[in-house]
Amino acid sequence: MEDIRSIAQITGEALKQEGAEKAQYTVTFKETHEFNVDGGEFSLFRTLFDNSLSITAFKNQKKGSAFTNKLDAAAIAGTVKECLASADSGIADSAYDIAPDQGKECFREGSYEPDADKLFERTRELMEEIRTNHPKIVMEQMIVSHVKSHMLYQNTNGTEFEYFWGEYSISMMYSAHEGDRTTSFFSSGVNTDKLDKPFIELGSFEKDLCDVEAQLTTVPVEGKFEGVAVLTPSSLGSFIYSAISNFVADSVILEKTSIWLDKLNTKVADESITVSIAPTDSRISCSERFTHDGFKSEDYNIIEDGVLKSFMLSLYVANKSGFERAGNSSFALIMKNGNTPYADMIKNIKKGIIVGRFSGGQPGTNGDFSGIAKNSFLIEDGEIKGAVSETMINGNLAEMLNNVVAVSQETVEDGNSVLPYIAVDKIVISGK
Amino acid sequence: MLEDFISGKKSLFTTGVHTELRAQENKQRRVTLVQGNLTANARLETAGVSARVYKNGVYGFSSMAECTGAAAEAVLKAATENALFMDKHIQKGKDNFPSIAAGSTPLNKVICDTEQKRYIEFVKEVDAYISEKYPNLASRSVVLSADSMEKIICTSDGYDGHVTLPRTYIYLFLNSESTSGVPLELYKPIGGYGNFDDIFKAPSQVYADIDALYETLMQKREGVYAEAGYKTVVLGGILSGMLAHEAVGHTVEADLVLGGSVAGPALHKQVASDLVTMVDFAHTALGEEAPLPVYLDDEGTPAEDAVLIQDGILQGYMNNRESAEHFGVKPQGNARAYGFSDEPLIRMRNTAVLPGKDKLEDIIASVEDGYYLTNTNNGQADTTGEFMFGVSMGYEIKNGKLGRAILDTTISGVAFDMLKTVDMVSDDMVWSSSGFCGKKQPMPVGMGGPALRCKVMIGGR
Repeated sequence: MEDIRSIAQITGEALKQEGAEKAQYTVTFKETHEFNVDGGEFSLFRTLFDNSLSITAFKNQKKGSAFTNKLDAAAIAGTVKECLASADSGIADSAYDIAPDQGKECFREGSYEPDADKLFERTRELMEEIRTNHPKIVMEQMIVSHVKSHMLYQNTNGTEFEYFWGEYSISMMYSAHEGDRTTSFFSSGVNTDKLDKPFIELGSFEKDLCDVEAQLTTVPVEGKFEGVAVLTPSSLGSFIYSAISNFVADSVILEKTSIWLDKLNTKVADESITVSIAPTDSRISCSERFTHDGFKSEDYNIIEDGVLKSFMLSLYVANKSGFERAGNSSFALIMKNGNTPYADMIKNIKKGIIVGRFSGGQPGTNGDFSGIAKNSFLIEDGEIKGAVSETMINGNLAEMLNNVVAVSQETVEDGNSVLPYIAVDKIVISGK
Repeated sequence: MLEDFISGKKSLFTTGVHTELRAQENKQRRVTLVQGNLTANARLETAGVSARVYKNGVYGFSSMAECTGAAAEAVLKAATENALFMDKHIQKGKDNFPSIAAGSTPLNKVICDTEQKRYIEFVKEVDAYISEKYPNLASRSVVLSADSMEKIICTSDGYDGHVTLPRTYIYLFLNSESTSGVPLELYKPIGGYGNFDDIFKAPSQVYADIDALYETLMQKREGVYAEAGYKTVVLGGILSGMLAHEAVGHTVEADLVLGGSVAGPALHKQVASDLVTMVDFAHTALGEEAPLPVYLDDEGTPAEDAVLIQDGILQGYMNNRESAEHFGVKPQGNARAYGFSDEPLIRMRNTAVLPGKDKLEDIIASVEDGYYLTNTNNGQADTTGEFMFGVSMGYEIKNGKLGRAILDTTISGVAFDMLKTVDMVSDDMVWSSSGFCGKKQPMPVGMGGPALRCKVMIGGR
């Protein structure tokens, strides 16, 4: 196989030859080392060697895309032809475009080369730690890996981005068991570029394991009441993801179904809320350095002190809608912490629930959500009373962001996001 | 068609260890029109080779994005080294799998590609029909998605084979608003197993589905919120299929059983009413080709049906060769990998509750105060069997008669409790196969079921 620059060159020449008026293409070489633990025992070691070529080409203001991992010259020529045939068959749209010339830049992030032996030892150490200190935990699956990636992006406007990155990731899915009692499963994960610390010290692993063991003791939730929900960083991430999908993402702006369509630069959340998408933040591991449209990635705020500052738009939907495109196309989520210690947050709650995980459907376009509070605890008179079972919570995402009563000082950093705990009022909590 | 560059490499397999060598190509074609805007027009292809070696209770795996003999040799070598690394450090000392008689599975279906232009023209015509006939919709989207897997499988013991799994669907999304201003969306997938030309002849063949979907959306516009509580409901076939897959199926995947699922201590016990029988069909279901037929799995096991629940009793799990050995049963072909670089995992194939003897109209007529729930837009469950399904369409039942449509709601319960409340089962069934099951890797799966009269918690507002 050719080297990465030769593949890019062959692609660029083929696109020119086939009459592409504009085009962008990314060649990626990726290598993965991965250990799997199943049912609490090491089961698999796998090494993957992946290469790929992604092309977007424009002709007569029409657009086509193709993706392949066959990278010999004949296969590349075939993929380019298919891509342009797709474009030819498409629908002309003046909003299709790529970034103007951004110059040439090379990025290097993380630990490019893996230390497979050290990774194995850290994994074995984590398993031993869990066996010793969390004996009620049954590890359904643990996946620990190192991925190294070399990407080369070029476009016909002259931009070239080269990106070398390498990072480790640890993800676990587990539940707690004691006699006949069992908890719901829970997932924890961290991405990191270092192996300098025992894994148990990363992210919220230790607290998550303690919480799941504590969920073996359940208390009944009687009837239906309105109370405060404390969203843990893990469940907060999924609620924010839903809010973004429903209110600021490409599709809802293009369809004009977002209820925030006319809310730019107005207050949409409590002033304690600042939500950023920040792939270059030092707490985020090996995230995006250039966007899907060929811009250099820049951090930006979606909500700043409660005010909607940006939608999360691609260049295409920005051109269609007249709004500004987002500074990057990643989901490196950061929410600013507050000034309430987590312990005080709990103490101040008369009646409510700590939501560890939300199992519900995609909320409606108006933001209404309804689902089961999993891995969750009941709070009464400022004290955690025990875990809940078969308990549903209902609310509205947009209203929830305005009903924030506290944001914790503490945050959890897992390499993908930096999130605090937040307490929101007026959530409907229903027991069986 | 994928060329066979791996059969000749079987001589390189290490004696005395189980080895799998797999060449695979996945293709995806996608066209999306949102309000007439072409937002996706893409063709994706990935191909390569992988090897997996099982030695003394641990696996080594390797893959390479190349379809060459040299790549096959390289992944065999790397997978063997990885298995040795694991064995050296872990030393489980387990025996090799019990052997399976050798054989060969012939190609089940040839994958035919279609020009992107034809997909786009088809979608444009469908979109034009909707926009012209139903201009008052808040928004509309039409998606054409064709995906396929083609595999050549060689194993050290068991079957070799050349198998494919192509699917093609049109997804229709229609959006409106209720009379009280609540945004509404309904969607319907149309299609199934096969190449584009096997399934779609002309855009007009989906017009009746569009009209029916629009009609249902208009009923939903007048919808009311369901009253929250523990209610008698008639779960339509799409929901009972989702129940079979999400709330029961995952708990009886043997790897999740070993990981602590609720099904572990429930084997051979009553987990449902005796009207409930549930099967994971391999390639033929109730005398017809299953929605997504699987003839051979990626460990070289010829696929056969797995009976999960028989007359309410939990009869068994879905296994790979390792878990089948653990539980002392015969593997039935559930070890499937999604991409060339994926290792086989225990996956469902076509999981269904079997039809019973009741007529749907009699079931509805038997409910004094409840709901008939006909469609879902999502579902989640965990290994305790606790589930939550979004209900995107349903109707009140009052005094045995269907009443007003209901707005989006949720139902929840615990599968092995809820299934014990089933007291009527319809004599027909509905299959769905357009989605992907997510479990480390995506996987196309079929699911189905009859209408079930049962009790669940319904969410209301």
